Amino acid sequence: MKVDVQKKVKIIHKAMDSIRKSDKTLHTIAFPRLAQELDIPFDEITEFFLSIEDIFLNEQRRVNRKIENFLETGLKNAKTANDAKELLEKAFLTFIELLPDYSDLVFSASFYLPKCIEERNRAKKYYKQVFRKIIKKGWPGKIDAVLDRQTDLVLLSAYGFYEYCATVGKRERKVILKDFNNMINLHLQDRLFF
Amino acid sequence: MNTSTSNLKDKVVKRAVNSLRKSKRIEQLSFVAIANELNVRVDEIQAFYTTTEDIFLEAQKKDWESLHRYWDRHIKKSKTPGDFKNAFEIFFERFVETLSDDADLRLELSCYLPKCIKYREKNRERVKQKLKNLIKRGWPGKDEKVLARQTELVTVLFYGFVDHVVHIPKTERTKILRDFRNMLNLHLQDRKFF
Repeated sequence: MKVDVQKKVKIIHKAMDSIRKSDKTLHTIAFPRLAQELDIPFDEITEFFLSIEDIFLNEQRRVNRKIENFLETGLKNAKTANDAKELLEKAFLTFIELLPDYSDLVFSASFYLPKCIEERNRAKKYYKQVFRKIIKKGWPGKIDAVLDRQTDLVLLSAYGFYEYCATVGKRERKVILKDFNNMINLHLQDRLFF
Repeated sequence: MNTSTSNLKDKVVKRAVNSLRKSKRIEQLSFVAIANELNVRVDEIQAFYTTTEDIFLEAQKKDWESLHRYWDRHIKKSKTPGDFKNAFEIFFERFVETLSDDADLRLELSCYLPKCIKYREKNRERVKQKLKNLIKRGWPGKDEKVLARQTELVTVLFYGFVDHVVHIPKTERTKILRDFRNMLNLHLQDRKFF
């Protein structure tokens, strides 16, 4: 890890700790105060981030970017229906492994800070279209209307899963993952969908 | 609470939400501005709320308490597995029916403001306990472990559903509700659960 990346990661971690301790709304945390708490010069923070919002946006994007790369590569390499099925399952596993300990704070920020809301909306649109492609490939033979409806259900389930995983420890995330994947499978096996 | 008090509180919530929709910043909300817009004295508003965060907390509590009361009435009347299944479904139906026009903003604040997050977490546990009771009696014969895992999944999915429905138009909400309920049913019919 390069030195400046280490410094950036340190700032993120300490900022999250400080926010958690303060028990205040995120927007009330001022940058100068943060620099004081971290005991580093103010301009060392602004070298990487311009605001608290930027720190959260950076974290949100970091996870999204990694998952998006994983899905794009996986989709490109998926030759069979089983490959696509496996891709969806592994995507959820990769996702929970990527979530940092402070993902509950990032989750909260994505509901309020404007840039984070924007990123959340962008990511949701992306996941919707990529899930649709995976479902089409992994569970072939569905008509378009069914494919759309099932994609919406998988998408909303994924966001419920995200909310849960963001607030529990790594062990609990893994426990629910197996049941979650089984349930999604059960749902998608229903070819005609009621 | 008399009608005029209740009316004033409703008006305060409406003004606060409108203002937030325009400014996107909770720190720009003020009792003085709301009082001026409603043509009432500031102390009349301060009689109910200590901070602007309280406005949203009270609104959140009011919505959920009303939903719980409705739900409890149906649970209390239930005698057979069919009745309990019905009470289970009624919860989701009523939730969608009673969503306000500004449900998206209210959800965002409930995921962001510290007091609202605390209430949300507490309420999530309350919802989970009731769902567990209904699953146990509506789909009898499950062992404790299965019951706990299935309840957790249903709760996870419900919160994903909440996030989804508040961000789509009212007409589409009932459509996805049907699919969502069917998905849960399919999941709960699996008595041994893998």
